[in-house]
Amino acid sequence: MSFLIVYIFTMDQHSINSLVNNFILPGHKNVQSISVGLFQECVITKRILTLVEYQQNYGLLVINRCDNSIEKSKQLTVDFVLPIDDRFKCEFGSSGINTGAGENIIAKIIHGKDKFIVELKYTENNRHFFTEVNKAQDVFLCKTNSSFDWLYRSYDCAAPSNLDERLSSNIAQKPYIKEEMNSSTKNTKNNNEFTSSSETLNTLLSNHPNTGITLSTSTAHGKESDRNGSGKIGKSSFYVNEIESPDDLSNIPRDIVAMGGASLAARETNIRLKMAMLEDQFMELKSFNLFIGSWNVNGQNCSVSLGENWLACDPSPPDIYAIGFQELDLSKEAFVFNDSTREEEWLQACTLSLHPGAIYVKVKLVRLIGMMLIVFVKRELEEHISNVAAETVGTGILGKMGNKGGVAIRFDFYNTSMCFVNSHLAAHVEEYERRNQDYNDICNRMIFSQFKPPKYIKDHDQVYWFGDLNYRLMDLNRDQVKRMLEEKAFDELLKHDQLRDQWRLKRIFHNFKEGPIKHPPTYKYDPGTDNWDSSEKNRPPAWCDRCLWRGDSIALLDYRSHARLKLSDHKPISALFESSVKVKNPTKFRKVYEEVMKKMDKIENEFLPQVSVDQSEINFGRVTFRESVQRYLSIANTGQVPVRFEFIQKPNEVRFCKPWLQIQPYESTIKPGDKLDVELKVYVDIESAQKLNSGLEEIYDILVLHLDGGKDLFIEIKGSYKPSSFGSSIETLVRLKIPIDEMPANEYHELQQKGEFSSAPVSWGIPKEIWLLVDHLFKYGLMQEDLFQQPGLDTHFQTIREGLDKGSLEGFTASIHSVAEALLIFLEALAEPLIPHSLYSRALENYHNFIACKQVINEMRDTHRRVFYYLISFMRELLRHSKYNNLDNKMLASIFGDIILRAPQQAQPNQKGNHQNNIQEIEKKKAGFIHHFLVNDFDP
Amino acid sequence: MARQNYDYLFKLLLIGDSGVGKTCILFRFSDDAFNSTFISTIGIDFKIKTIELRGKRIKLQIWDTAGQERFHTITTSYYRGASGIMLVYDITNLKSFDSVAKWLRTIDEHANEDVEKMILGNKCDMEDKRIIPREKAEAVAREHGIRFLETSAKSNLNINQAFMELAEAILIKRTAGRGSLEAADRVNITQTENKSLIRCCNV
Repeated sequence: MSFLIVYIFTMDQHSINSLVNNFILPGHKNVQSISVGLFQECVITKRILTLVEYQQNYGLLVINRCDNSIEKSKQLTVDFVLPIDDRFKCEFGSSGINTGAGENIIAKIIHGKDKFIVELKYTENNRHFFTEVNKAQDVFLCKTNSSFDWLYRSYDCAAPSNLDERLSSNIAQKPYIKEEMNSSTKNTKNNNEFTSSSETLNTLLSNHPNTGITLSTSTAHGKESDRNGSGKIGKSSFYVNEIESPDDLSNIPRDIVAMGGASLAARETNIRLKMAMLEDQFMELKSFNLFIGSWNVNGQNCSVSLGENWLACDPSPPDIYAIGFQELDLSKEAFVFNDSTREEEWLQACTLSLHPGAIYVKVKLVRLIGMMLIVFVKRELEEHISNVAAETVGTGILGKMGNKGGVAIRFDFYNTSMCFVNSHLAAHVEEYERRNQDYNDICNRMIFSQFKPPKYIKDHDQVYWFGDLNYRLMDLNRDQVKRMLEEKAFDELLKHDQLRDQWRLKRIFHNFKEGPIKHPPTYKYDPGTDNWDSSEKNRPPAWCDRCLWRGDSIALLDYRSHARLKLSDHKPISALFESSVKVKNPTKFRKVYEEVMKKMDKIENEFLPQVSVDQSEINFGRVTFRESVQRYLSIANTGQVPVRFEFIQKPNEVRFCKPWLQIQPYESTIKPGDKLDVELKVYVDIESAQKLNSGLEEIYDILVLHLDGGKDLFIEIKGSYKPSSFGSSIETLVRLKIPIDEMPANEYHELQQKGEFSSAPVSWGIPKEIWLLVDHLFKYGLMQEDLFQQPGLDTHFQTIREGLDKGSLEGFTASIHSVAEALLIFLEALAEPLIPHSLYSRALENYHNFIACKQVINEMRDTHRRVFYYLISFMRELLRHSKYNNLDNKMLASIFGDIILRAPQQAQPNQKGNHQNNIQEIEKKKAGFIHHFLVNDFDP
Repeated sequence: MARQNYDYLFKLLLIGDSGVGKTCILFRFSDDAFNSTFISTIGIDFKIKTIELRGKRIKLQIWDTAGQERFHTITTSYYRGASGIMLVYDITNLKSFDSVAKWLRTIDEHANEDVEKMILGNKCDMEDKRIIPREKAEAVAREHGIRFLETSAKSNLNINQAFMELAEAILIKRTAGRGSLEAADRVNITQTENKSLIRCCNV
């Protein structure tokens, strides 16, 4: 069962890059290309993944190499393209399902609703590729006018490969276009949602000249529909088919498999990938309440309860807490040794202040100098949290000290990955660029390296980012701010908020959202009061402390500050979320899994080698001695995969077919749709004739046609053997009153089996056939030059055989050589050799002793002895004419010796070493035996 | 990391006279389909199907054999290595039922000693043409201590059950031989075993 085949990445990096460089359009840059295995409905095919750049816009090309041996770029075709924009996403091993096995990893590449899966080696080179993809995405996020028209225009018109042409017929039924529309509707809906909450960042987004992106995206999809409409390239085939049933196997690129160009993925890989693709079908969203808190405590001791005024201010207990502190410890020790007694103090304070309505356990705590982040979860939910990791990034002095920067905790909650980032960015009104840089540093350097590949913040389904981000209000002086605050004109004030301004400019927090701010600025107060800073620095108020989020299915319930906690010059903030996470529904999972298994079974069955034969019974009709009859068996590969067939040996048999049958070819490979004619030839030689004449064997066999990795077919071989005097025994022949042709088969078989013990009377002194042949030679051949040394003709032989079996050679006109040969064949074919097996050894042992040789002859049965002396006299007659026929006694002795003296089967020499010598020795002895009778006078 | 997606691989064999419906039984089980045209199986074919039994994923490789007399010497060579054999007869065909004894002897001669056997009386949808009373077949099965079910590939009766029962019996045998099994599992085994025995005697 070879269902699993490992595909091999054959091409090296250099040749891939040069191939692609020749292929892409001038002006476009091949940033990097790698070789991957593309997963398409149970089949993995080799593809090149290329990151292509044009005017700072990036796209991903999935390129098909039609042939492994190609060298010209002409033979590359683009399966599809993906723009690297905000809908682009690349996931590695999320949900725990699609983590790679061995050295290969699996990447799920997502664009909006579309996704495809590739498998690739986890190498430095391939990691670098995805780093480049990340960078490309960052470039997009920072650009204000992106266009991907070039991408579609340049590469989607590529000549479709056979695969795509074939697939295009399926496309009409695919929900691809519809799906696209759905997804865009959804997006719009999402946008609307945020627009309706008038003060979200999204409101600002809608005012922003971002339409370029929206436009180009929709253009792209417009083209998509066109393409599909014209049936040129279908990318739908690579994507998950949402309404899949186990009977729908139409997406399998069968012809590619048939050509041997792709292989069925290993069943395990298949199921893994399939389940990853169908995740949506068994994952359900379950919502949980998350409490995010952040407070810059300005180095103060914790002297108050944090409960009712902050962490437990809501009526119902949240499921998860993520609490971030900044400036926890401003001491030198903390700064230099990252060692703080405050950690325990504040942890205690938090632990005691969590909502009393539930019992919580600490998931993780991470601290970098003054920045501390603690995550708590309800005790009963702890078991659903896995892969917990924490990291810190310092962006302070020298760009690395921990007085500024961020700390983060990530984990998987059910099947959704979450990342919480608590950060403290650079201070001072004018330093917003510095803050932006801190943000970007944290994004780039916060790496959870224990994962393979390492995870960044952006690799998480849900990201909550909070802390003292330190963005201030710009273009307003202290008094203006205070006056507007008195008027509660928050909206107006927020137009001057640096964070929102920088966000609009796409400098920071790409794709993040923030809730509407309805609380007063959280900074800066006189500690212990609700009064704005009255120190000599006289800082204007600002919303320094914030909470943003990124990801799907997150609903903000509340966003507030907590003025009653007055310890610090900052007020704590909190955001309460209702976040939905993916939870595996065991029933649905089982159902999907079962469906997948069922489908796998179906595919496995369908991809078993299949052939059909034009006949399962081959009849050769009447066959006879030394006459070859051909028949043809047509084997057609009716399956989906190349088939290697072989005729195999049956139990208790030495060969795959009987000795009288020849099969050509007896093994071969047939491609799907192809046919192969196998020639079967029956040819009854001397050995087979003896067995068939006895009636103990017949022309019947069952061949086993075995398909490699598949079934066995039985082919019956039938025919009837026409008995011949050739291959009969002397005992039979001398008892045949009528020609063999006229003899009923059963009577003949009986004679042949009983031999000398047959009750039938002996009718002839010697077999009539021998007499006929010798007589013919005597009459016409004595003077024939080179008699017994020229081969006869096959056709003549058949005429002679027919004549003999009919009982007459009258009117026969054949070459004398053919008759001579027929005599030799006749003697050789005798069912029992002229010198019987029982006397064989003695004959050989005594070859040098004429008396002993004569003794051997005397011990033979009369029938045999008569034939022997008859032949000897004939040979002596021949020698009398040796000047014409060029025969000499040695030659004749040698020719006839080998035929008259035949070794019994088991006594045949089989010693390998001096095999050749042995044979020569035996031949010498045989000839010697006969020679006596040719040169010595004797009395028969 | 790479784990097999099945815990066991069982090779099952379908034997019985020509025309009793072996291929149809297999086709019904693997593809859930039925075709009434009779196409004589000339050879040995197989299909695979993955099932789940008592929390174990079992891959069944089911071999369908040619029933015709003249192929017997060849088909018996496929018996070895089979963990389960289904002996099928046709309830409307006396000869096929009479052959059961002969087939059982063939199994004894050629199959592994511990092979699990099951007798299936197929075509039980054709009640009007029934020749073999169920009781008669039950008696034969009881006599040999073999499971027995009447099935219909056409109306999909007992087909799934037959394979499940046979697979379960094999599973029990396999797991029972293993000392490392947990106690809880053992209890399960004996329970199922009892159930199967009852079933094989009383169906």
